[in-house]
Amino acid sequence: MKKQKPLDEIKAEILDAQENDPVVGGPAKNVELIGTSSRRGFLKTLGISAVLVALGGQLFAMLRSLFPNVLYEPPQKFKVGTLDKFTDGGTFLEDKRLFIFRQQNTFHAISAACTHLGCTVKMVKLNQPKKVTAGGKEIDEQVEFHCPCHGSKYYGDGTNYAGPAPRPLDYFNLEVSPDDGQLIVDMAKKVEQDYRLTT
Amino acid sequence: MATENISAPPAKPGTNSGFLKRFAFKPAWEKLTWTWRPETKREAGDAIVRNFVLHWFPAKVSLESLSWGYSFWLGTISAVLFLILTITGGVLMFLYVPSVERAYLSVKDLEFSTSYGWFLRGLHRIGAHLMVAVVFLHMVRVFLTGAFKNGRKAVGQNRPLNWIVGVALLLITLLLSFTGYLLPWDQLAYWAITVGTNIASSAPVFGEPTRFILLGGTTIEQATLIRFYVLHCFLLPLATLWLVSYHMWRVRKDGGLACVEKRYEEAKKEEQPAIASKTYSLLGITGGTAVDVRNVMVDDEKDKVPSSPYLTVRLAVVTLSTLVASIVLTLIVKAPLEEAANPAVTPNPAKAPWYFLWLQELVTITTFTVGGFTINGALIGGIILPGVLVLAAVLWPYFDKSPVSSIGRWFPKERKWQNWIFLLIVAAILILTFIGTYMRGPFWEIYMPWQEWEQTPRKF
Repeated sequence: MKKQKPLDEIKAEILDAQENDPVVGGPAKNVELIGTSSRRGFLKTLGISAVLVALGGQLFAMLRSLFPNVLYEPPQKFKVGTLDKFTDGGTFLEDKRLFIFRQQNTFHAISAACTHLGCTVKMVKLNQPKKVTAGGKEIDEQVEFHCPCHGSKYYGDGTNYAGPAPRPLDYFNLEVSPDDGQLIVDMAKKVEQDYRLTT
Repeated sequence: MATENISAPPAKPGTNSGFLKRFAFKPAWEKLTWTWRPETKREAGDAIVRNFVLHWFPAKVSLESLSWGYSFWLGTISAVLFLILTITGGVLMFLYVPSVERAYLSVKDLEFSTSYGWFLRGLHRIGAHLMVAVVFLHMVRVFLTGAFKNGRKAVGQNRPLNWIVGVALLLITLLLSFTGYLLPWDQLAYWAITVGTNIASSAPVFGEPTRFILLGGTTIEQATLIRFYVLHCFLLPLATLWLVSYHMWRVRKDGGLACVEKRYEEAKKEEQPAIASKTYSLLGITGGTAVDVRNVMVDDEKDKVPSSPYLTVRLAVVTLSTLVASIVLTLIVKAPLEEAANPAVTPNPAKAPWYFLWLQELVTITTFTVGGFTINGALIGGIILPGVLVLAAVLWPYFDKSPVSSIGRWFPKERKWQNWIFLLIVAAILILTFIGTYMRGPFWEIYMPWQEWEQTPRKF
């Protein structure tokens, strides 16, 4: 077994190295070797990269865990009742915040969430039907939507014409359930203003 | 030199302005990492003294303090574990819900639905167990090396005070672990806290009110959960931070780790020459020696090295090793989750957390009946015995009569009896913990670790 140097000798060597060299030695000096083509430089590069990858991986895991994989919320696609439940004109579904409009056999669903800041708009029946031009077409409207929060106003087809609302009310996809004939609204699928479900 | 910008104005050695001018011209990468590769002794000192995080350390540190085999860096390891626990705990606070209806389900979500949730919870739990163990080992090390003793009273040392702060920190660590234990709200958690708080309630006079405040009532319910949660996430960590800061500040105020004391002892043994100096008298200046100037002067600089890089690199090694060990253990040891808490069904056996199992053992074996009078084991084994131990620990530095030469050394002859008795107590605690963990089965009967437990009905 190799004879161990006495502690005093080791101490003296370290302190001597410091005294005689203006550049303080020690392991950290080897950081400069990163990028050099020596074996030591390679190992140092490997070491520091490994630490950065490890810490980066930890950070990623912590941030990723904050994006939930499972949501404890009601589904966006749901049944709202059989077709005969809906009369001609607009029916307001309060808990889902949407209007179901029916004209004989044609249905469409308009969101009641104001596009400005999300308040629930009120459907206002007009005393006299009004003729308005919206989207290049002339419509005879019976109802309008007024938002109580900041005064946004929408025509019966959802087009915004007054107030701070930036765009028309959303339309949602509709379909009829094959098993029990109920109307299904899919709030995750937005459709165009001219969309109609004909049964 | 390769890293120096030639167009930078030349630095005048020893002036502040030279340093600042040179620093301004360094590229961004160097501005972040210069403390790790000082180019001159001045830079080495500045790297520590001017750094927000590092300036707690001295600019130069003694070689003995850096030794792995003296302190095993246990204090540093427990600080690193506390950091890991704080970070993982902070993320977990977004994912865990402290409500009796939702707590268990949120922990289940963590384990099975949240990405890396099992890892966060596992790392937090392993960190907690390791911290209790490491803090305990740190206390054992400090006692065995006599580092709770004062060496040079003249410089205002107060190591006994720091020892008491350490004991307080040990108790807070145990409380942190205890409050955290309840949060999953499964059978293991619920009944462990039932056992623990019932032991607390057997204290005379203050026992019942203590249990009442801890639980926020008479049963372990929503009030208990939210109290333990706030204690665990806010009040106890705050107390830990405050005391740990004072604890570390005290170490520097006392002159460093206790292992540096022997240098002063050696210096005392040497003959101190009288210091020739001038004496000012009424009739003018006379020669000769000044009165009472014989002093123990120690050349501190002889045995010291710059903290940057010697201390900082070792700190990095300790931090990373602790992190690696914790992560490996997390990957190997799965965090348990039993059925949801059910106050109607007591598991058989119902065990306290492992660091309190020695207490549970004591409690079961110290119930005495004298005549018609029974003394509850919870009082003797749960309150009196541990209370006496804590009191003995706190007061021991003031009763210790061993000489100053025994400070900062492992197993010095002068403290042989102290150390043996201390080790005996530690061994007793460890043996009781082992028995409680591996040898107690249903109905708290003794089972050999290899024996199968009898199938006992679990629903009464």
